[in-house]
Amino acid sequence: MSNREQEYRELFMAEALEYYDAMSRHISELERNPADEEALRELFRLMHNLKSNARAMGYTSIGEAAHHMETVFGQLRDGQATFTGSMVPVLFGGIDTLGELIRAVGEEQALPDVQRLLDNLDRISRGEEPDLEGEEADDDEDVSRKLELSDLVYIQVRKLDHLMNLMGELIIDRDRILTLSREIDHPALTTAAAHFSRIAEELQYSVMDARLVGVGSLFSKFPRVVRDVASTEGKEVNLTLQGEDIQIDRNILQIITDALLHLVRNAIGHGLETAAEREAAGKPAQGQITLSAQAERDDVLVQVQDDGRGIDVASVRRKAVERGLVTRAAAAQLPDAAVRAFLFEPGFSMAKEVTEISGRGVGLDVVKLAIDSLGGQLRVDSVLGEGTTFTLVLPTSIAVKGALLFELDERSYALPLMHTDSVVSLLPDRFSVVGGVLLTRLQGENVPVVSLRELLQLEGDQVLAPARKATLHGRQDIIIVNYNNRRLGLIVDRFLRQQDIVVKAMSKPLDTIDLFGGVTLLGSGQVCLVLDVPALTRLFLAKRP
Amino acid sequence: MPNSEKATAPDPLIQLIVFRLGQEEYGIRIEQVKEVTLTPEIARMPKTPSFVKGIANLRGDIITVVDLEERFQLREAAEVAEEAAAHTYTMAIEAKDYTIGVVVREVPQPLSVPQSAIEQTPDFIQEANIHDKYIEGIARVGDRIIVVLDMLKLLTPSEIMQLTAPAAS
Repeated sequence: MSNREQEYRELFMAEALEYYDAMSRHISELERNPADEEALRELFRLMHNLKSNARAMGYTSIGEAAHHMETVFGQLRDGQATFTGSMVPVLFGGIDTLGELIRAVGEEQALPDVQRLLDNLDRISRGEEPDLEGEEADDDEDVSRKLELSDLVYIQVRKLDHLMNLMGELIIDRDRILTLSREIDHPALTTAAAHFSRIAEELQYSVMDARLVGVGSLFSKFPRVVRDVASTEGKEVNLTLQGEDIQIDRNILQIITDALLHLVRNAIGHGLETAAEREAAGKPAQGQITLSAQAERDDVLVQVQDDGRGIDVASVRRKAVERGLVTRAAAAQLPDAAVRAFLFEPGFSMAKEVTEISGRGVGLDVVKLAIDSLGGQLRVDSVLGEGTTFTLVLPTSIAVKGALLFELDERSYALPLMHTDSVVSLLPDRFSVVGGVLLTRLQGENVPVVSLRELLQLEGDQVLAPARKATLHGRQDIIIVNYNNRRLGLIVDRFLRQQDIVVKAMSKPLDTIDLFGGVTLLGSGQVCLVLDVPALTRLFLAKRP
Repeated sequence: MPNSEKATAPDPLIQLIVFRLGQEEYGIRIEQVKEVTLTPEIARMPKTPSFVKGIANLRGDIITVVDLEERFQLREAAEVAEEAAAHTYTMAIEAKDYTIGVVVREVPQPLSVPQSAIEQTPDFIQEANIHDKYIEGIARVGDRIIVVLDMLKLLTPSEIMQLTAPAAS
């Protein structure tokens, strides 16, 4: 049995046992007050849900039993019959039988035969007397088996968030204790600190693991969305889901929900052509949309792929110039990937007409913001006429981020690895100055380089002074960051190390300074600012000479 | 009149934390002060006005630390020079939904004053650098004059960030 089936079965079990408990409760209420409408409605609903779940999982006998029970409770609810006489033991017995069936699923045993129950329920719903012979016989056995606790607990995400925050504090303290134990260098302390550190780490991964859910829990909502959007747009769409069992932090999934919804609506509304257009282009009338997830090292890639008309780079280029985002001359030289990145600029939408579904003035910039807030990346690839793929690169977990630590003016700073391309150490002769901006050539691409110190020291409306090569002395330690397909080199004083950090949000009132994504505490107790690469890139673009 | 006598009879004591800024004494109601501590190591935040000294780690909480002498230009030139040498104290003050640190150079002292000793701000105080809207009143205790500040008004985000250049967008 695959992990996913196992997980689905556990979920089914948890829900089914909960339904069973609720059914037992409600039918007892019904016995006290046979006209209790509330209890009847609940019983009908519970039977209906159990039926749907069981049928989806392929547990036919549970589905059938629940279906027949539902029919009888439906009649009771609608006042076509009353809860009296011989139907009472049959319905009580029916709920017990459901309990046995559910337990049998849990213990992976063959499901007992329920034909007798089904026949009796059929008789009741036809208004006939049920066959009660031998019905009481196995009651003793039932009593001993009725009390059953689920192996799963439901827990509010809020509680998990609290655990995660405490965990973050613990990790910071762990680093502090490890540093102290190295300084004090006492053998007993060193051993205790090492042990503590191991436990803290295991605890951290357990808490992170408890927050993971399958991407499928979000993906499974999309068939319906796609159907609705496709019918509104008058398009034929087939949706394929892949990698539903990839695990990701529940809050990350929550944050990307709207982004994913937007991308899928966009793909149907703007990406896919109408059936007629598709056939004219020699494609099958039905458009394909694939929603997939895959794990890549510590990240999760979520992709929305369509086989529609693709992004017309020339048209985006033209529009970027019209909007004044780039000069005509510069636009002509930009690589296609950089041009497509304009789609993520605020208010830059390619939709020519506003449709009910995807044209509410919300553009890809909103998607971009959501992904940025997670420290993730958003990429788009497209081949004109063949389709478009949006890729969301997401961290598996929110709280702990890989970061590169470096020093500037004797203070430590951190840069999330998610936005770090590479680190290089270059001599002054590797730079050239073009239009006041330092450039260096890396992997066949000109990358602008700026002194992080100068960038951070700018006040008010000041712009960067034109760069001069003469100011560079000796090797320059440079971190190449990457945001929205734009690479930028930041000159720092010294690289320190790579480390997992727990990012704490910037506290008020300084949370309005978007250059910093937060702070972290180092093992030394020192406060370390975490730079926000998107904001830093925007600052450079706004301030370049 | 008996009525007015009755009204003045209960004169509740108000607990202040008194500290020096420049040459003057200032006070804050004690319930606004969370704790007083030796100033922890402060990390300077780029892109903030210079009176915002930076952020510090106060028992795991990251708080913003401000220097009110600098904010209101109360520091004498001679004192500026010795600033680096002297060690300072930080009062952690509970603003509306965050805690903020205020640096002072001498240990702040508690002081009880009767409510009646706090007078409404006279107009002349506007000559001082602290704008009167932050001043709750003036307390006269013997020959001491203590300016009672309303920290909650003083430490709103917009007040703290008012000198910041708008962030580049």
